[in-house]
Amino acid sequence: MSGPRYHRTRRQDQRLVGFECQACGFVSFPDEKRICKRCGDAPAEFRDVDLASSGTIKTFVVQEYLPDDIEVPQPLAIIDIPQADGSGEPTRVYGLLTETELDEISVGCTVDVRFRELFDEGARPINSFKFSVPREDKR
Amino acid sequence: MTDAHVVGAGIIDFGEKYDWSFEDLLEGAYLDLVESVDYGIDPTNDIDGVWYGTLDIANEGSSGAAVAHATGLFETPATHIVNACATGSDAFRNAVQAIKAEDIDVALVIGAEKMLDSTEGLIGGAALERLWRGRGVTMPAFFGMRATRHMDQYDTTREQIAAVSVKNHENGTKYPHAHQQFECSVDDVKESSTVSYPLNLYDCCPVTDGACAVLVASDDRAREFTDAPVRVAGYGLSTDSFQRGDDLALTNFPASRHASSTAYERSGYGPDDIDVAEVHDCFSITELITYEDLGFCEQGEGGSHIDEGIPHLDGEQPINPSGGLLSKGHPIGATGVAQIAEIFEQLRGEAGDVQVPDAEVGMQHNIGIGRNATGAVSCVNILER
Repeated sequence: MSGPRYHRTRRQDQRLVGFECQACGFVSFPDEKRICKRCGDAPAEFRDVDLASSGTIKTFVVQEYLPDDIEVPQPLAIIDIPQADGSGEPTRVYGLLTETELDEISVGCTVDVRFRELFDEGARPINSFKFSVPREDKR
Repeated sequence: MTDAHVVGAGIIDFGEKYDWSFEDLLEGAYLDLVESVDYGIDPTNDIDGVWYGTLDIANEGSSGAAVAHATGLFETPATHIVNACATGSDAFRNAVQAIKAEDIDVALVIGAEKMLDSTEGLIGGAALERLWRGRGVTMPAFFGMRATRHMDQYDTTREQIAAVSVKNHENGTKYPHAHQQFECSVDDVKESSTVSYPLNLYDCCPVTDGACAVLVASDDRAREFTDAPVRVAGYGLSTDSFQRGDDLALTNFPASRHASSTAYERSGYGPDDIDVAEVHDCFSITELITYEDLGFCEQGEGGSHIDEGIPHLDGEQPINPSGGLLSKGHPIGATGVAQIAEIFEQLRGEAGDVQVPDAEVGMQHNIGIGRNATGAVSCVNILER
């Protein structure tokens, strides 16, 4: 089994910065690339945009069958995160939900984006985003 | 420019082949092909080129030379093709292109996979490779996300999704090379253990070893091998990523639409002309969505399409008469080649208990998972009698 490839701490792993293609409006996150994945502009001009700290579930699953060292059930969702100032397009990512039960999530519901230490690679912590149902919505 | 024609096919029984090596799999499929070509074949003199499809999950044969060694076809150019779950169908497409370019006259396309030797590797790779995308994202999760959204957006029911698996398992009991030979009901599917909600165990294809080979020839050479060649009418290959923000990718696979559009355009056929199809049903939801992507029904109507019985063996447009990946199994490199072999048999009227009456035009379709999740690759081939 190969080891983790993305082990450096990057700014987009620490805070919510997306990269908006100035040709077509596509927002890339957390990948920071030089070529647009939608319109193919190369080299593309990307502008840093702040993302909101919550997003909308577009679809989800709840994984029950995983290797023994991974906790189940584990909800996973595709989530659109809008830009913080409400302009332009949202970015689309997929990620894990934490502290979430199946009956709390549905297509269209809002989730908070949180940064957490997923696990460590040797002495280095691996931080990334996870999503969760807002506390006030908890039953 | 010459056309390319399928003139022979060989396959081994798919299943658990713990005691077969990669070389055993390749030998088995190749020997069955050699023995089944109508007018025979002189392997070392007739075959000009080899395309070998495998992901080589068990790490045994990562070169075209693996086929040369297994078959004795030394000094013949042999190329290893990898293209996710579309590996077998893309190996076929590459051979067809070489023949149409008149670079060679006769090609062997062979696909093989030993899936059972490294199941943990498959899951582990998906679970650990791309950290920021979420640790533990598996194949059923990637496909299941389409199921959740399809049910929400189009009121597709859990029963309609399960009905795909019921159909394909029933077909598989009539197909001699299928791995899983049992029938199941909608309730059986719904009551089987949850793999990744909303998909259960019987919504998922089994983990299967297998191999398959087909022989492809030019206009000039095809009739040397058979009086009933099957012409390759068109093909298409495409790629995509749902992260581009296309909302269609939440419920469907835009790459399948693009690849099939290309194949339809090249062949001059449309969705209504397809008499029989072998499509990618790695999960039940995948086939239901594929009805829409290939134009067999309208967007969002996959559920009612199966309810109406259209894709059943006795329906208007049978899909996966071989039992599909859900019953036959999905040894990745062999899968697309086996689908071509089944369409070849169907168009020649040799498909036995799963024969579709008077089939003249057939389609083969794969989608694959790439670095940017499911539906990242799609390959479609259209064949005609």
